[in-house]
Amino acid sequence: MQNTRGLGATSRSMMSSLREASLKNKIFFSTLAMVLVISATIALLARWILISSLVNELTGRGIAIAQSIADQGRGYVLTRDHPNLVSLLFDNAQLGERRMLVEYIFILDDERNVLSHTFIRPFPEPLSSANPIPADKQYSVARLIIDDASVYDIAVPIWEGIYPIGTVHVGLKQKHIDQLIGKLRITFLGFISAIIIIIFLVSHKLSKYVTRSLTQLTKLADDITRGNLDLKPMALEESDKEEHCPAYYNMDLPCWYVDKTLGRFSPDYTPEKPAYCTDCVVKKKKSGDEVEQLADSFKHMVRSIKLYRNRVRESEEKYRSLFRSGPAPIFVLSTRTFRILDANPSALATYDYSKEEMLKTSFLELAPEFKNRFTAFFRDNPESESFIYPKAMHFKKGESPFYVNVVACKTRYLERDAIIVSTSDITEMLEKDAQLIQASKMTSLGQLSAGIAHELNQPLNMIKMGSEFLDMAVNEQMPLSNESLREISNEMSTQVDRATEIINHLREFGRKSDFSKEPIDINKPVRGVMSIMAHQLSLQNIVVTLDLDESIPPVSAHVNRLEQVLFNLVTNARDAIQDRYKTLEEEGHREIVIRSFLDHDRVCLSVADTGCGMSPSVAEKIFDPFYTTKQTGMGMGLGLSISYGIIKDYDGTIDIKSEEGEGTIFVLSFPIAQE
Amino acid sequence: MRKILVIDDEKPTLSMFRLFLNAYGFTVFTAENGEDGLVVFQKEQPAIVITDIKMPGMDGLEVLKRIKELNPLAEVIIITGHGDLDLAIRALNMNATDFINKPIQKAALDQALRRAEERLTMAENEEKEISWVQEDDMACIDIRGNVNAASEPVLLEAYGQISTWSVPKILFRFNENASINGAGIAVLIQLLTESKQRGQAVILTGLAENFRKVFEMVGVTKLARIVQDETEARSVLSGMSA
Repeated sequence: MQNTRGLGATSRSMMSSLREASLKNKIFFSTLAMVLVISATIALLARWILISSLVNELTGRGIAIAQSIADQGRGYVLTRDHPNLVSLLFDNAQLGERRMLVEYIFILDDERNVLSHTFIRPFPEPLSSANPIPADKQYSVARLIIDDASVYDIAVPIWEGIYPIGTVHVGLKQKHIDQLIGKLRITFLGFISAIIIIIFLVSHKLSKYVTRSLTQLTKLADDITRGNLDLKPMALEESDKEEHCPAYYNMDLPCWYVDKTLGRFSPDYTPEKPAYCTDCVVKKKKSGDEVEQLADSFKHMVRSIKLYRNRVRESEEKYRSLFRSGPAPIFVLSTRTFRILDANPSALATYDYSKEEMLKTSFLELAPEFKNRFTAFFRDNPESESFIYPKAMHFKKGESPFYVNVVACKTRYLERDAIIVSTSDITEMLEKDAQLIQASKMTSLGQLSAGIAHELNQPLNMIKMGSEFLDMAVNEQMPLSNESLREISNEMSTQVDRATEIINHLREFGRKSDFSKEPIDINKPVRGVMSIMAHQLSLQNIVVTLDLDESIPPVSAHVNRLEQVLFNLVTNARDAIQDRYKTLEEEGHREIVIRSFLDHDRVCLSVADTGCGMSPSVAEKIFDPFYTTKQTGMGMGLGLSISYGIIKDYDGTIDIKSEEGEGTIFVLSFPIAQE
Repeated sequence: MRKILVIDDEKPTLSMFRLFLNAYGFTVFTAENGEDGLVVFQKEQPAIVITDIKMPGMDGLEVLKRIKELNPLAEVIIITGHGDLDLAIRALNMNATDFINKPIQKAALDQALRRAEERLTMAENEEKEISWVQEDDMACIDIRGNVNAASEPVLLEAYGQISTWSVPKILFRFNENASINGAGIAVLIQLLTESKQRGQAVILTGLAENFRKVFEMVGVTKLARIVQDETEARSVLSGMSA
């Protein structure tokens, strides 16, 4: 068990060390191993084939020598011609290179007596009996040891007809064979070694070449990781022709080809390319192997990365500085909890929090309305990215309220869904607005003053006359009927009420309204305006017809601001009528109709007159500030523009239908107040 | 028993007028608008008409014009609102005899009625409206009735005579019933300017309150002092070094 585990561990460590080995070594060693295995295999095969065939060949030669001697020496054997036999043997043994191969030759007769031999020493006795030829064989080969030298003894019989008359023995030197084999082996090994060395060098080179590029790329990638993108520009060093392409030298410019900044273009439209792009150095496919192509792609990639990183950095710096030093308060909120994740200095200053406090605070403490608005908006418009709403009441530290416009958009912040909220303090603007509205109201009151004075004069007149009459009655002791007294007292009371009502109305109208709206009945301002203006209009022979829907739902607004709008519209209607009928005596239909009604879930109020009307070109301009059709000194041209602002404040609309010479209808519409 | 017609769109005002005028012993007719008023006027021929100037439909000036067309001798008193002096002067130029301001005070009403009465009797008795006398170093010009365009020759004649006296001080004595319209005022201003160039001291006295306001408005006071009381006026004049 242990052992196997040990083995497994060993093999695992082997594997891992193999995995961890460098590519260079992998290439090198694997090539080497392959070559070695192939070489060894070849060597073994060659040895087997070569050595056996060599031995066979040599043996064959020995046999051939022996047989030729047997043929030539047959006669000499029969005649026992020793000298000739000896010379024959020596001739054969010394012929050419046989000298090297042949150790000895001797001939035996059928009695196994030595007829002749080539030994220059005494014939070794055991030889005569060695290596007999078996009866069924043409020859016999045996290895013998003669005087400590190893010899292949080849025996061939000498025939006379069918009778064997002797045997030729040829001894081949084992040493010579071994020398040949040794030579062969050395040659072979040398050759294989040379191949191995060559392969070794080649694989070394190759692996070095491959790995050098890879090492460079790795180093580059590491550099990029560390954020060091200072690479040579794309201009590859071998190019010596002048390049006009600006992206060629400047790393901060995108190239349409490399960076794919052409944008989207339809198949039938491709933007015009500049001339220098036609023979772009970069676009030409690099001739080179995969490694070079990889390096090329890598270069382009690095270039793109650098370019876009620069872009990102630039944009980030831009936005960072906007965030830091922008005048508007900016918050980053968590979408889930509405906690403040970040806030810029302006936000801290505006809302009067320190950074630490701010990051502990929920945005809903500053902006109670935000959550409902946000969720409602994105429930209704899930596709939208951002939304805006005006005039929200936010709170500084310590619950002091002020008014802002709010812009919010969804974003990602530190891998979380977040909301960016920007606010702008409009308190001062609202104050100014209110002042302007107030000022124009005062103007209206000024215009009204004569009428109001007249209006107030009527009850005062009665009261004065009544009191003086009573005074006179007392002083002159006039008899006074109870009838008269009651009449006077009742009338006086009525007239005081009347005056009080007028004054109350004026006070209400002149009061500066606060910023918060309340649900109101839209008929209320109509009656208010009429209570002030009705009499005046009747003095100008203008009939006012009210057609008010008493069951109309409330709108979210201010009574006295709407009164102001109405006052403006009614005044304009009056002026239009007076413009059409120059004198009071002129016959004509002088009427102002004010209606309130519900239309498509909107509360509407229309003011129609039978006045001079206006041309479309005038109708386009009437809401512009300081535009007036009245004579100099008669109007500032602010009334309608202020009215327009007021109506917009209540999410209302104002439409005009007008025919020149026939009259005009203004239709206001407001959303129903949400309870 | 003079007949009097009151035209006003305010019912309460009408009922008060009725109380007063009945107490004064007039036969009172009332109308709530100009058209009705004219019908009543034609029917009843009242000597005095009091009409509000601002009314829906036919306004007071129109009523005045029509009444003067119907009867130039009718005394028409215009009721004006507070500070409607320009309307008042327009009415005077259309030969309204007088105007009273709302809220109407008994005194003003009494004066207006009295002046109307006096003018009516003057017209009936055909009295002269303008006369002048010399008192030491002072010329006195007495004005009764209505000073209007027709009074111009008389006034010029008076001033011509006064200049032959070469007196350093002139006293205009307006009678209680005197009224003056735009044309009259124009003549008066012309004369007062002459006096100022001559270095004569001029004082106007006896003017009714409403006419004083008119004089202030048109700038007569820059040319001559207005003193309410004649004795006071005399003392002021004697205080002035000749």
